[in-house]
Amino acid sequence: MILRCETRQNEETILDRNELKLRLKRLLVDGLKLESVDPNDIQDAEPIFVEGLGLDSIDALELVVLVEEQLGVVIPDEEVGKLAFASINALADYILANQPAGAGA
Amino acid sequence: MSAAGLGGRRALITGASRGIGRAAATALAAEGVRVAINYARSDAEAAAVVESIRAHGGVAEPVKADVADSQAIGAMFDHLKRCWGGIDILVNNAAATHDGYLMMLSDSAWDDVLATNLRGAFVCARHAVRSMIAGHWGRVINVISPAGIVGKDGAANYAASKGGLLSMGKSLAREVARYGITVNAVCPGLIDTQLIATLPAPTREQYLGQIPIQRFGTPEEVADAIAFLASERARYITGATLTVDGGLTMI
Repeated sequence: MILRCETRQNEETILDRNELKLRLKRLLVDGLKLESVDPNDIQDAEPIFVEGLGLDSIDALELVVLVEEQLGVVIPDEEVGKLAFASINALADYILANQPAGAGA
Repeated sequence: MSAAGLGGRRALITGASRGIGRAAATALAAEGVRVAINYARSDAEAAAVVESIRAHGGVAEPVKADVADSQAIGAMFDHLKRCWGGIDILVNNAAATHDGYLMMLSDSAWDDVLATNLRGAFVCARHAVRSMIAGHWGRVINVISPAGIVGKDGAANYAASKGGLLSMGKSLAREVARYGITVNAVCPGLIDTQLIATLPAPTREQYLGQIPIQRFGTPEEVADAIAFLASERARYITGATLTVDGGLTMI
């Protein structure tokens, strides 16, 4: 590869699970423009897509991208996506387990 | 911003070291698009394309990767993300042929052509769509062939790859339309590239007789269609096929 450039660095370390869950709820509401939803009303254990918030599985594509852009965690495929989006709890656990190298404890 | 509304956009054109890919890169660069010139083999040809675009004031970078190699595609997209933050326009143009009558076609002739023409385009699109969703704007343009619609004797593998590329594109078009991303196909007919130039004169004449416009097309004429589909003017067009063949097929 001949293209030259500098590495972009915009990911930050997240340590606290509760703080992360609130951040994820805000990301959902702001990122997917759920104007009538209060982040605090989103349940930790409910599925994020299909039921609950009235989001469909194509909306999940944008959450995949937002999680990668803002938290530096890649959700690579459908199988991982199903597990990660099972609930806010599941997504927080997935992110904590897959933070970029150098992040976390 | 140019009339096409593309100034500042970032494009990856596969198979851009010559022919239609080269012309597409040149046309997009002329609209102010930064173009990544993907190629598999010839460093010299790719460097010539880059130099030519830069000489006209455009921004071009060579990115070497065989699209039959998914790992190489991954490395190419990682690189584009680090450098440009992603891409907005993907032109899936890279293609291979390995002709033979189906009864005589080997597994490897089938697999090799499908790996480049169809899986390569799929893997490129899978990467590209992530950055397009992030920007809520994108264009995927697949270069297909009349063979993919009406078939071609002696090239079932190539025809299958192009037919597959067409329907893959339509499926993706449905998935990503809400994110401001359009997915279309360009279907060139008989274009005056190296392949046509090497045909025997009687065969050339026979082909010409089938084209109502009575001449072969140029790579630049196909590139014009690609640049149109990439532009703001084509924002309401998705899942479509734009045929550029001088009236050869009228499909």
